[in-house]
This record gives sequence, C-alpha cells and structure tokens, in this order.
Amino acid sequence: MNVAPDNPELIDRLAAEYVLGTLRGAARVRFERWRTTSNLVNDRCQFWEERLVPLLREIQAVPPPPHVWQDIRRRLNFSTAAPRRRNVRALALAASVLLVVGLAAFLYWRTLTTERATEVATISAPSGALMWQVEIYGRAGAARGLSVHAGAFAAPPEGRDYELWALPKTGAPVSLGVLPYRESVTRRALTGEQQQALDRSSQLAVSIEPPGGSPTGAPTGAVVFVVSLRVAT
Amino acid sequence: MNVACGRIAMSTATESDSEFDQTLLRLLAGCAAQDQAALQSLYELVSPLLFACLKRMLRRRSIAEEALQDVFVTIWLRAGQFRPERGRPLAWLVSIARYRAIDLLRRERWAPALTADLPEQAAAAPEKEQWLSAGPLLERCLALLTDQQRQCLELAFVGGNSHDEVARLTGSPLGTVKSWIRRALQTLKACLES
Repeated sequence: MNVAPDNPELIDRLAAEYVLGTLRGAARVRFERWRTTSNLVNDRCQFWEERLVPLLREIQAVPPPPHVWQDIRRRLNFSTAAPRRRNVRALALAASVLLVVGLAAFLYWRTLTTERATEVATISAPSGALMWQVEIYGRAGAARGLSVHAGAFAAPPEGRDYELWALPKTGAPVSLGVLPYRESVTRRALTGEQQQALDRSSQLAVSIEPPGGSPTGAPTGAVVFVVSLRVAT
Repeated sequence: MNVACGRIAMSTATESDSEFDQTLLRLLAGCAAQDQAALQSLYELVSPLLFACLKRMLRRRSIAEEALQDVFVTIWLRAGQFRPERGRPLAWLVSIARYRAIDLLRRERWAPALTADLPEQAAAAPEKEQWLSAGPLLERCLALLTDQQRQCLELAFVGGNSHDEVARLTGSPLGTVKSWIRRALQTLKACLES
C-alpha cells in the first residue's frame, strides 16, 4: 500500500508504535513512506515524538570521544581551519541557554551563610534543575572567598569531573576548582590569580574534565555551561 | 534542601526549556545557512545526550560512534527542513538519532547482546543526570500506567528493543507484551490529549 489509509485511529496507533520503535520490518518501511506523503501521518508522528521524548529523562549523558567530531567535519568537507570565533560565539550562545534564577534556593542558601556574597551565579540543567549555586565573597581588591552549593541533581559525568572557570574579558579562563556534587557545599579562599581573573570576569563556565580537574590548567573538555555573574542583592 | 531544589526544578522547567529551545532553534537556523560554527555549537550542546541514547540502543560503543556521525551529517543536511511551528527542536533531534539506531538494528547482521541490558534498565537510578524534565503532564500520565506497562515502554523507547526483545527481557509472552504496550499507549494518548 503506497498511500496512507484514511483511518485516523489506525494511523495514530501505528504512529505511536513507530515512534516507540516497536513497529519494525516492512511495516516500518511502509509507514515511513506514508509519513513523507501524508500530513496526517506526519502530524501524529510529531505528536508522539514530543510526548515520548521525556521518557529519556533518566538517561545519563555520555560525551562522545573527540575523534567523532573530527570525523563529522571530514565527512562534511568542513574547512580544516576552524574559525576561532567559534569559541566566543559558542559561549555567547551557551550563556543564553541554561540560566534560571533559582531565587528560592538562593534565599534559602543565604540564610545559611553569615557573610554576604557580593556576586552570585546560578547554574541549571536544561530541565531547569538547579545544578550549582556559586557565590563570591568579599569586594574586589580584598581577600575573597568562593562557595559552591551543589543541587540534588548535580552528579559527575561518567568517570570525569566538572570544573568551574572564571572567564576574564580578555585572556585565558582561570580555574576555580572542581565542582562538588549532590547537595554538598565547597567553600574555599581564592588565590591572587583567581581574584584578579574574577575582577575581570562577568561570566563563569563549567567544563568536563578528567577526574580531579584539567591537567593543563586550561579547559580541555566540552564547555557545558556558561553563566553570568550577578551582583548579589 | 531537597524540598527547595525539587520545587525549583519543577517551577522553572518550562521557562528554562523554552530558552533551551530558542538556542537550539538559532543553531538549527545557523546550520540551514551553512554556518559550520552553528553545527559545532549544536554538537557540543546535544551530542552527550544523543550519544547516550545511541549507546543504549545499539549497545556497542563503536557502532554508536558511527551512528552519531550519521546523525550529525543528517542534521546538517536537513536543518533547513525543520519547521519550528511544527514541533520542538529537541524532539526532532532525538528522533533523528533514535530512528537511525532502529535502522541500524534492523539492517545490521550482528545480534545485539541483550543480556547486559536488563540490570541497567531495572536498576534504581539515583545518580543519573536529569537532562530532560518529564514535565508535570507526562509524569501524571505515566502514573496511570502499571509498572509492567511503564517498563515495557522504557525498554522499547529508551533501550531500542523490539516486541520480541521486550518479551524476552521481561520473561512475558509476546502477545501479553504487545497488549501491555498497546494499552499503555492508549492510556497515554487519552491522558495527554485531555
């Protein structure tokens, strides 16, 4: 049958099993053909694709090995001279992606600390779940400290660690240390280099690194979050 | 603190998801305009999720890596066909990956090793990252299903298992599994459309 049947209930049942993945073999091939020619089939597929995607919520993200991206570039004949502006653009884009003001958590957290934070940043997963609340204490020029509170969903990536970075407006990112996980809190004094970097930064980034943090002092893995520092109120 | 975090996760999921969607849309538009940097940013953003899906469905890392290449080549070539008014970009991206995996499962001669899969599926998962929020609606609708129905849906959707494989993995007759899945989908449909 090359033309989709005019039976909405049948189409919907098949679309659900197609998206679920249990429609297999010749029936799947035929249904895929219908999808390219029938708006009804396509609409029902999209309905199920959107509704079932959240079933993946428990899956643990796994960063692919670096060679995969190089292989993709080769297959698409991308120029070998990768434009460096990418970094700036990727950071700018990522910055707009992932941020939520976790006001309640922030207020709650504030009640636990005696010293007032001067700058804060909230890092959230795409789902909106709070990952980390970062607070910086002390004014620019004075001795400063950093405290990071990990949310309930902040878990390490498979066999690696998340590392926090200050992103100075000019110059290289400066490590602020490996991030804590699952409701724990880290508090530490900042070194002179870290304080200077923070004075020139309006953003923080999080990258995926080998256990214990980047061995080189610069981010080596994917930058997964970029967030703006806000003045604490 | 548990309570506070949980509440935040729920109350901000929608807002954050839509911001996430906006970024995906911008990157897809960039890909459609042949902007290589847009594809790279998109890759950095969603490849860990798509790779995890592919690895789970295909079970073999090397095959999942090849599939991930196919997926991003497809995304690059088809980005211009994506219509934001017709659906969410993440569902579109995930579907490209899942359908590629199902294609490979169908075409490859190798038989996937099923045994390793079940314990992982069945294990409680306190340590898993929450990349996607189920959203209150799906969560409410999933709660209407029996444990068996929910397990079958997850084995099929997340694990990439066919009816036969779900039957083997759950130790239930094929006909029973088919009807569990059919009824689960009917229940979900009625609930999601209400």
